[in-house]
Amino acid sequence: MNILVTGCSRGVGLEICRVLLEQGHTVYGVARSCPQEFKDLQTQYPGRLQYKSVDLSDSEHVRENVFGDFVTNKVQLDGFVNNAALAYDDIVSNINLDRLKGMYEVNVFSPMVMTKYAIRNMLLHHTKGSIVHISSISVHTGYKGLAMYASSKGALEAFSKNTAREWGSLGIRSNVVVPGFMPTAMSATLTDEQRAKIYARTSLKDATSVRSVAETVAYLLSEKAASITGQNIHVDNGTI
Amino acid sequence: MKEKVLEVINMIRVAKNLPLVESVTDNTRLREDLDLTSFDMAELTVRIEDEYGIDIFETGLVNTIGEIYAKLQK
Ligand SMILES: NC(=O)c1ccc[n+]([C@@H]2O[C@H](COP(=O)([O-])OP(=O)(O)OC[C@H]3O[C@@H](n4cnc5c(N)ncnc54)[C@H](OP(=O)(O)O)[C@@H]3O)[C@@H](O)[C@H]2O)c1
Repeated sequence: MNILVTGCSRGVGLEICRVLLEQGHTVYGVARSCPQEFKDLQTQYPGRLQYKSVDLSDSEHVRENVFGDFVTNKVQLDGFVNNAALAYDDIVSNINLDRLKGMYEVNVFSPMVMTKYAIRNMLLHHTKGSIVHISSISVHTGYKGLAMYASSKGALEAFSKNTAREWGSLGIRSNVVVPGFMPTAMSATLTDEQRAKIYARTSLKDATSVRSVAETVAYLLSEKAASITGQNIHVDNGTI
Repeated sequence: MKEKVLEVINMIRVAKNLPLVESVTDNTRLREDLDLTSFDMAELTVRIEDEYGIDIFETGLVNTIGEIYAKLQK
């Protein structure tokens, strides 16, 4: 399969690339940076991990940047994983409109435009493709400081459910993976005390495994999940 | 260009088990006369864009064959 993955450079996105490569697929990754760990994967799987540096905060040009000369119509796309995101962390009374818009560009607008062109690619090739968005447990369990971020992920969950309904008759599926807190760069600024509190709210009392999230994404992309669409799959250690 | 548009329309109609159309005019309506649904028109757009690099739906809905020709001639 050919899979487009955003935010491939580190954390969950990098792990998704790794799992897909292990399974024999070809990955088209986009992010702004290309760190050594990503380059190592490219060396390990020659020709199967393509990369383009794209800034997803520019939703106006995301079409030409991603689909113009990278994932062109010559590539038959089987799956799209919308993983890239940033967290604007602050309390509601401090909302800064520019930062809010900047986050929505990356977390919501570019992903929606990319879904548009991923579906168009699937239409051209008559592919029963699979779309997977990465949400966050903060949509379902409130956390102080995450109202704006959670709202962007809530938008994706609604978008996915409706995409599933709209395109199901053509065999195109859309699902969401809802991870709990993971020890990645995104959550690096949390103190140990904050982490302990977050983990205490889970059944398994620990951080969510990045690998488990990536494996779930790969599963939803695969034929094994052929009858799963319009779902939010929680991979969150049983957050309560 | 006109032959290509007809070819794409017939490609979509064949996939839906509809008979081929011999010819279309500027006034032929996509929905009513050719039985194309919004999904068929999405595929039509994608195939025409793949050929000519023009997204016929970008600037609003298209209802007739003539409107497609007009967008492609711009
Ligand atoms: N970490 C958690 O606890 C947690 C919990 C729930 C959900 N999530 C979600 O899981 C997903 C992955 O997060 P993560 O934890 O792996 O975060 P991360 O380590 O911060 O990685 C984010 C990825 O997104 C890319 N990215 C950010 N801004 C971008 C931009 N403007 N243009 C292109 N790429 C951009 C980054 O690449 P570059 O910097 O190279 O551009 C990076 O590859 C996100 O959707 C996140 O919301 C995370």
